[in-house]
Amino acid sequence: MRFLVLLPEAIVVAVAIGVMLLGRFAWLPQASRAYLPQATALLVLVALGVELWAGATLTTYFGGAVIQDRFALFAKAAALLTAAVALAATDWTAEDSLHLGLAMPLLAAFGVMVAASAADLLGLWAGLELAAAASVVLVSLRRPDLGLRLLIVGAMASALILVGLAFVYATAGNGDLAAIRAVLVNRAPTLALAIPMLLLLGGLALRAGLAPFHVGTLPVGLGASPLGAGLVIGLVAMAAATVAVKLAAALIPIPSVYVPYVEAVSALAMVGGGAAALAVRSPRPRLAYLAVGQLGWVAAGLATHFRSGTAASLFLLGAFAVAATCGPALLGRAEGGEPAVAGFGTVRPVRAAGLALAMLSLAGAPPLAGFFGELAVAAALAQSGNFVLLGLGLVGSVMSVAAVVGTLRVLFIQSPLEEARRAPAAALPAITAFSTAGAVAFCLVIAAYGVFGYPILGLADQGAEALGLR
Amino acid sequence: MTLLTITMQTPSPSPVGVPGAGIFSSPVLLSLLIWVPVIVAVAIASMPNPRGRYDVLMKQIAFFTNLGLVFVLFIAYNQFENFLPTMQYEEKLPWLPAIGVTYHLGVDGPGLVMLILSGLIGVASVLASLGVRERVRTYFCLLLLAQASVNGAIVARDMFVLILFWGAAAIPLALLILGWGGGPAARRAAAAWRLLGYWGLGTGVLAVGVLALYAVTGGRSFDMDTLLKAGLSPRIQIAVSLVMIVAAAMRLPLFPFHGWLRDVLAEAPPGVVVVVAGAASRLGAFLLLRTVIAAEPAAGHLLSPVLAALAALTVGYAGLAALRTADIRHAGAYLAMVPGGITVLGLAAISPLGIAGSVLSLFTGGLAAALVAGVCATLSERAQSRSLAVLSGLAPRMPNLGWLLMIAALALLGVPILASFAAEVMTFFGAFKNQPIGAFAVAAGLAVSAIALAVLLRRVLFGAPNPDAPGVSDASLGETWYLGLLAGGLLWVGLFPGGPKIPGTEIPLFDPGLINQMAAGLSDMASPYAAPAPGPSQ
Repeated sequence: MRFLVLLPEAIVVAVAIGVMLLGRFAWLPQASRAYLPQATALLVLVALGVELWAGATLTTYFGGAVIQDRFALFAKAAALLTAAVALAATDWTAEDSLHLGLAMPLLAAFGVMVAASAADLLGLWAGLELAAAASVVLVSLRRPDLGLRLLIVGAMASALILVGLAFVYATAGNGDLAAIRAVLVNRAPTLALAIPMLLLLGGLALRAGLAPFHVGTLPVGLGASPLGAGLVIGLVAMAAATVAVKLAAALIPIPSVYVPYVEAVSALAMVGGGAAALAVRSPRPRLAYLAVGQLGWVAAGLATHFRSGTAASLFLLGAFAVAATCGPALLGRAEGGEPAVAGFGTVRPVRAAGLALAMLSLAGAPPLAGFFGELAVAAALAQSGNFVLLGLGLVGSVMSVAAVVGTLRVLFIQSPLEEARRAPAAALPAITAFSTAGAVAFCLVIAAYGVFGYPILGLADQGAEALGLR
Repeated sequence: MTLLTITMQTPSPSPVGVPGAGIFSSPVLLSLLIWVPVIVAVAIASMPNPRGRYDVLMKQIAFFTNLGLVFVLFIAYNQFENFLPTMQYEEKLPWLPAIGVTYHLGVDGPGLVMLILSGLIGVASVLASLGVRERVRTYFCLLLLAQASVNGAIVARDMFVLILFWGAAAIPLALLILGWGGGPAARRAAAAWRLLGYWGLGTGVLAVGVLALYAVTGGRSFDMDTLLKAGLSPRIQIAVSLVMIVAAAMRLPLFPFHGWLRDVLAEAPPGVVVVVAGAASRLGAFLLLRTVIAAEPAAGHLLSPVLAALAALTVGYAGLAALRTADIRHAGAYLAMVPGGITVLGLAAISPLGIAGSVLSLFTGGLAAALVAGVCATLSERAQSRSLAVLSGLAPRMPNLGWLLMIAALALLGVPILASFAAEVMTFFGAFKNQPIGAFAVAAGLAVSAIALAVLLRRVLFGAPNPDAPGVSDASLGETWYLGLLAGGLLWVGLFPGGPKIPGTEIPLFDPGLINQMAAGLSDMASPYAAPAPGPSQ
């Protein structure tokens, strides 16, 4: 029974490996391949169900290297839900490989789960790298050049993170997060700790694609397949944010070594993301910049360095992960700028509704998931008296909403292109019952996230409490 | 003076039950007003509509949804316990307890007045939109979402819920302007971005004010009962009130935060004009009433000259701008600013009479602003021109619109028989004592507006017919009905502010009277500003 808690991880990894093997050795008959996405999404939902049922158990494994607490439960459930909805909403005709396309989101979700359950620095790093590696695979399938670029940028990020983690380890004399926290209680903030923190946060920001580090990863995501872009923008950023939350909780006794950096990064991301979303017109880059802006809000919640702020960040992170990962998948092959999605609401109404909700949620427009999360972070910022960051965030959100209205106009008010004039880059997503159901499920999740905010934010609050925050 | 006496004496002096009261009750009455339009909007959006086959059906669904809401509202209005100082039809559910958010709805007298206004505006906006031919499904879907947002902002008793609905209205309205506005695409886009920018920033400013209140009250709850009844220091009251004034001024709008109004009311389709000018923008004054006048008496006293100055600047600017514009829709848009200024003057009066006048002015001002902006929009469509140099001598050729434009002008100026008369009399009588300079300045601005209206009427209706003007036609049935409904609301409350009575008795016939209903909770709000009773002589 005790190991039932690890069953979701086992299911996800087994399914990912199984799907890859099926693809490699072509064991599955051609006619049955069409059902592979359904079967995979169903198994991920089973894993989610097991997680929600058995994940409430508080326990540790492998000598304390893996921990199951409320934080892990929240983050793992969010990652699994994101993966399931993304797999269901994807237009599989737009993907370069069915098998790898199915397996990589699962591995990225597994990376998030590893980071969420990690009790030491090594686990955090491993989870993050696993999620990032999955995104490199998907990007490389379509654009090997961009895959290489992502690999190099990722290596730089990884190096920065490793140096930072090494310094933290050297300072605390221990790699265990709880032990680090206990050691730092009696330490004063020093420059020797502040400089590696800068490197560490720089690496995480690079991984997450936060402004101004988005120049390294975002163009890569924009060139990938829809699901690849979703992984870069969404699940990898979620993994980075999960690592940041756990590290922030461990370093909470000396917040002054990281809070100024987090404040600066979040301010830049919130305002920069909104401004960049306003500046571009093509839906996929706009989606990516909106995600940057919302990730800035997640970072702002961490800057409060107390429980309600971290809980609000977690709450928002769940909404962010679903919208940012599934947004490009809903857009599908329509990557040729604004003309490609003109009249999308007429020709693909359910996908258009999903895309609209994803963008509005990432912009923080009421009454969707992102709005509730951002306002929860705003409440935490107000409690901490950080009205400058709050004001900057609101300015960023206003710009983001204005940007989204521009895309909504194109989606729902402009007339669609004539079929004869539709270029390959403006190809419409294929209509299948499964992807339509996925888009409907996405709409329901985004619309219901705030309505059911009571249990979700409650769980996020317990998650923050589990990290030892008050 | 005789008319004034009649008007002021008409309300019932004490609570009197309405026949049939109490036979219907629903614990989710206010939720119905918010969520029914949302559900219908989603249903409309999901309906198949090949080649616009069901366009007429969608218009009918939107119309009957609004009519149903008015019926629900009538029940709420009829069964409302007037003179009761507490919130009624309250709904309270925990929503995000970790940060102190509750799904708390409730309505008092002023809130009920706003709801009645919103209900009438909802029906009028659908009638005004019957001429929509393109993308009918999307249009009515967005219109219903906008109406739901307005209703939600009115009944919200939790600041988080208020911000949610306050901000939510901007997106559907901006899309409606972008997609169905009348002018060239560039002008429509400019109008939509201005609306979004001003209202978005206004929402941001409101959020800052609310979060500041949340922080200083301990960060436990967003409930208005906690935030607005906390004993704050005068310095904090003033800081928060200033923020709220800016947020409200961006929505109402008040000079100098009116940058969106002209373009939006000039470019939006008539159905959207009615919603924006009538109900959505009144939320600004409603916010001032709730968060400054009713909640922060110290700041209310100190900032009332600021409010009076804003009111005077708004009315004066509106009159002057309407006088010098050469575009009838711009003129209508500027004139629609006037009622907002008068409402704010009533709030600045910080006296029970002035506050009561401003609450009534929320209703009358909303109808008058919607009427003047709507009739200018419809007239310009029917005359195929917006230029005042072209429009001339139209009264014989469009008699219905001519009459309605006359009524709109009279309603703005507050002539007797129309409801705005009672509202303006109460407002000015309340303001002349505490804000004499502001009241005189607003009166002067109103005089300029009267001149502007006179010039407009003379040119457009009674000037020499222009032989080079394009062909004109009078209002269609739908247009006559929507404008007639707005004018009828003003006439009904003007004639029966206390509701019609069974002859020879004080028993209301079926309408308890808007003046009676709005009194609930009002005395509580105005009590900090009531003049002290004279002490016993020594």
